[in-house]
Amino acid sequence: MPSKKKTSGFLPAGLRIALMYDSMENALDEWFAREILVHEAALTSYLLRRWPHRDDVFDMRQEIYIRVYEAAARELPAQPRALLFTAARNLIADRWRRSRVVSLEALGEIEATNVLVDEVTPDRRLSSQRELRQLVRAFDRLPARRREVLWLRRVEELPLKEIAERMGIAQKTVEKHLADATRDIAAMVLGGSDCPLPSIMHVKDDIHVDQLGD
Amino acid sequence: MSTNSEIESIAAQWLARREGGWSEAERAQFEEWRDAAIAHRVAWVRLEAVWQRAARLRALGVGLPLGQIPAPGVWPEIRPESEAALTSQIIRPSDLGEVVVQRGVRSRRKRSMLLWSASAAMLVVMSSVGWWRFSEVDRASYATTNGEMRSVALADGSVVQLSSNTQIDVIYSRRQRHLRLARGEAFFEVAHEPTRPFWVEAEGRRVAAVGTRFAVRLAEGALRVAVTEGRVRLDGGLRESAVPSTLLAAGMIAIADQEGVRVRPTSSKEMDDLLSWRDGLLVFRGTPLVEAVAEFNRYSAHKLIVDDPAIASIPVGGSFSWSNNEAFVRVLEQGFGLHAERGRTETRLRGDSPEADKVREGM
Repeated sequence: MPSKKKTSGFLPAGLRIALMYDSMENALDEWFAREILVHEAALTSYLLRRWPHRDDVFDMRQEIYIRVYEAAARELPAQPRALLFTAARNLIADRWRRSRVVSLEALGEIEATNVLVDEVTPDRRLSSQRELRQLVRAFDRLPARRREVLWLRRVEELPLKEIAERMGIAQKTVEKHLADATRDIAAMVLGGSDCPLPSIMHVKDDIHVDQLGD
Repeated sequence: MSTNSEIESIAAQWLARREGGWSEAERAQFEEWRDAAIAHRVAWVRLEAVWQRAARLRALGVGLPLGQIPAPGVWPEIRPESEAALTSQIIRPSDLGEVVVQRGVRSRRKRSMLLWSASAAMLVVMSSVGWWRFSEVDRASYATTNGEMRSVALADGSVVQLSSNTQIDVIYSRRQRHLRLARGEAFFEVAHEPTRPFWVEAEGRRVAAVGTRFAVRLAEGALRVAVTEGRVRLDGGLRESAVPSTLLAAGMIAIADQEGVRVRPTSSKEMDDLLSWRDGLLVFRGTPLVEAVAEFNRYSAHKLIVDDPAIASIPVGGSFSWSNNEAFVRVLEQGFGLHAERGRTETRLRGDSPEADKVREGM
């Protein structure tokens, strides 16, 4: 057997999926997807419970990701989940301080969340079958056009040009649907929600890639 | 400064742009954007992870007609309550077994079960015509002995290459192409026929494919699937439906045993090496001796035995004709200074000559 180079042993489902990220050239990216993003549903519900403004949660989550990624770039943590939730706790504390509505009660609660970290154990051992079911649930909740575009691209692997012709729309529009579909799926599959968080739904996508380089 | 939501939007647009086939300039532009801030990178990694995961939807596309997007909710395989719909959608071996063996009983029972199901109307039709779909139209068995290799052209235009000491059973029906790997290793070049799934059963698992090339190998209770083209789906144990499916793209290798499934990407060079038996060759690159020997033993009645734990893991390299393990033994003797004791049915390999052992014992 030629499997000696990578002594992988039996891999849990999450890790197995992670190995497919051949397009992620960066080992840290791969680590991040594997060790941190799997906790997104737990993190999201944690934030929703700890922070009174639902609209902030999407933004806070990304802030936390940035902090975790930066920390991991310096040194990979032995316990990624603990790092993630520590970052979450600290961010909540920062936000409370910044909001100047110093709620001792809230801060007290924050200190007590050491225990809660275990309570929000993410469903890491989500079986592959359940993972697929979750994916399909999210897929089925997509608006019709996004769903169609995603299927034609990801399952049938049609070129976007061909998809555009089939659907009688511009290729740019196909790209737009595909981008939206990916964001929706991310929110539902990783975030574990039935629908995207408010800040995603309300975002006006008026920044376009074409304008970026200018 | 962009908000996180805007950043995600941009990341998503880059992803879509990549899928549309981006130019080198665009790619460079993207990389510049991605590397400009951790916020960008994190948003990108997150969407890319989801994009990769969405590839698992393909597992559901296997066997469905192209160009038709399944309506929401019609996912028989992952919705237990609509299990009966399998006959019309994705075929599961457990169903096949029952349908083939107890066709009449199954149909009648299925019908009575379905009548009170709201979505049953179409399925009743499906199950009543189901029997002929599964009726066997072609059945054959092919085998090779030690040191023999054979190429078999199947009725649908698919080609199977059988390695040494291999047996496959072929059961073709109008509705599907079912093969069983009883032992050994075989390489499949599957003729594209989207309406008739092609799947290989081995060691309680099955490998489903559409228009693709892949090898399946059975050794020591483990199943190895190597995909060289297209994609295949490796389904879990036939007995327990709860075992997960794994989707394999070209360039991936899966090893399934009782512990579970291990999947890893591989280089095209390594893939070539793994499949070099088709050219009558075995290729090793830093392979532990004991594994190389096991490989040779698949091809020959005259077995090689590593009789000395001290040499079991020495790395060996090179291309050898699998029909000639004596050449391999000579290389080991000359190149590695190993000692070979040639018997009538086996050759034993040791690190030192027996004389050296004696000297050591005497000390």
